[in-house]
Amino acid sequence: MAARERVVLTAAGVVTPIGQDLEAFWSSLVTGASGISQIERVPVADLRVQRGGEVKKLGRIKDWRGVPDCRASRLLIAAADDLCSQAAFRPLPLDPARVGVVVGTALGGVEEGEKALAGDRGRRRLPDALYDAPGWNLARWLGARGPVITVSTACASGATALAVGADLLRSGEADAVVAGGYDALSRFVLRGFDALRSLTRDEVRPFDRRRSGLLLGEAGALGLLVRERDARGPRLGTVLGYGSASDGFHIAAPEPEGRGLERAVRAALADAGVSATDIDLVSAHGTATLLNDRIETAALKRALGRRAHEIPINSIKGSLGHTMGAAAALEAFMCLLSAQRGLIPPTLHLEESDPECDLDYVPGQARAARPRLMLSTSMGFGGCNGALVLEAA
Amino acid sequence: MRAPAIRALGVLSGAESATRATSPARSADRGSAGAISGPPQMKSLKKETVDPRILTLARPDRPGDRFRRATRECLLALAAVDAMLEDGKTSREAIAGERTALLYVTAAAYGASNREFIERRGGVMHFAYTAPAVVPAEVAIEFGVVGAYGILIGGAPATLRAVEQAARLLEAGTCDRALVLVVEIFEECADLYARHRRFYRWPLVETAACLWLERGAGVLAFESARGGRRGRGAAREGERFAAGPLADLRDWRARGSPGPLELSGQWRGEYARLHWSPEISHARGSAA
Repeated sequence: MAARERVVLTAAGVVTPIGQDLEAFWSSLVTGASGISQIERVPVADLRVQRGGEVKKLGRIKDWRGVPDCRASRLLIAAADDLCSQAAFRPLPLDPARVGVVVGTALGGVEEGEKALAGDRGRRRLPDALYDAPGWNLARWLGARGPVITVSTACASGATALAVGADLLRSGEADAVVAGGYDALSRFVLRGFDALRSLTRDEVRPFDRRRSGLLLGEAGALGLLVRERDARGPRLGTVLGYGSASDGFHIAAPEPEGRGLERAVRAALADAGVSATDIDLVSAHGTATLLNDRIETAALKRALGRRAHEIPINSIKGSLGHTMGAAAALEAFMCLLSAQRGLIPPTLHLEESDPECDLDYVPGQARAARPRLMLSTSMGFGGCNGALVLEAA
Repeated sequence: MRAPAIRALGVLSGAESATRATSPARSADRGSAGAISGPPQMKSLKKETVDPRILTLARPDRPGDRFRRATRECLLALAAVDAMLEDGKTSREAIAGERTALLYVTAAAYGASNREFIERRGGVMHFAYTAPAVVPAEVAIEFGVVGAYGILIGGAPATLRAVEQAARLLEAGTCDRALVLVVEIFEECADLYARHRRFYRWPLVETAACLWLERGAGVLAFESARGGRRGRGAAREGERFAAGPLADLRDWRARGSPGPLELSGQWRGEYARLHWSPEISHARGSAA
């Protein structure tokens, strides 16, 4: 069988609660900064938990003319602006018909639907409420005329988008793909998670004995993918493999043994053509819910065997909250930056170990290390499990 | 790319129910749908509708407490899989397990549950049901489908892309069979669609469909481009969003599968086409 085309990530752009460009994001992660604050943009007074990882002011772009007044679209476009400033990608340096866009989201433009149902008769509110609208708005802003794909594998969406983007390149349908994920904080999702009692009033403490739930965050995270043979200049790393698997267990709760996540990890390793012993770093989903962290730990132990006890495993959700559709893309970028910078960000607010979470979760402060192969795991509503294997540049 | 073989197809369509009646409030017939009986005719679930421009499918009855709060789109997805199994003359065990991939596509089916949650109309809507991911999740839970999965949001081109993705998964050996599931419902948001009626080809036809693919021998070609051409199916019967290609496939089979098969569709200015080679094959026998 012919060797599979390698796909590399040449640049990334982000907008997050801890920084509105890749450098600020990275600096905040390694210094242990927190992006959690009182939510101000939407009314939360009636909710049990009123904090989250909110981006207070989208400061990157001064002139939003021509861009819909849609928070989700603007998060995406702000992340794209960061990407384009690094990669000189706007105006597009290649045939627009050969540039694809693949974005992952759990919520799409649902906030536009909220506004429309509240009586806002704005011409674009309803069309932008469809979950694929922000992806098309991004393509329009970029000037991309190639395939535009929206995936919605819940909180694994960002990983799925990077994998689908890599497939578009391998199939020859595009020569460059802007891929990643996004989601905005809205009353819709805040009320939903509040009702599920998944949110904590404490800090987000992944893998900590005292962990009591997650906080939501908002973000946009996009990477520029190209085939390795077409790549010029610097690169962040390679998307080596991807695996997915359904739990087939419950619409909201993870399967108690983490079998779905285990299958996804095994599939990703197989897709990448590597073994568990090759993995040097795991970016865990690590939401800090009681169930997630215990189940994820068990799944990683089974999928990676002894290697799970030998390597660092971190979660960045203590810093910025659970950014849903953006989470897996941000975590993938964190992995690649760790390799590039030789530093692994800590798991913020992890202070007391849990006997059921007994792996090395990088507590305290950033750790010097230069991983070569990294695994990023994701779990989402509906039993969506995804895993990415990434290789350092 | 090697074309997958079509093992079975289940399509539930509001067009077949032919109930363009104007009737009392839609809430009145919640839970009143008849049981599904099957293919190849696949009698549609009849339902009266408040909007004559929407051809609707009723909420299927499904026994079991687990489905008490399930949304109409979830129950229709399950019904589509049932119909597909009937078409394939096989049992649910044939699709269970980790060697079955599940790809779900919708443009807008989540609109109903999103709206209900926003407006608190149901009052007890479980938030998780607002996620598109929960529709294939219900299928995964009910039928034990725990292999690779994907969820694409978009119109007909997304469905054609899902078939291509299924072919790729089959060719790579990631799975032994792949299900492409599509659900589109409109009724709960009929007034919202009406505000933007110029964007759509009316009537809107509610559809739930599931296509079972296995490794095949022909050749599959997928192409997409920006441009305004419309798919044949959409022009003939109304707008089905992502479900159009599978309804077209059903029609093609009903005509005796005259090859070659070409499915097409457009969405937001993207036109996509999927061409199956004349050697298109129909898998036979057990899928196990």
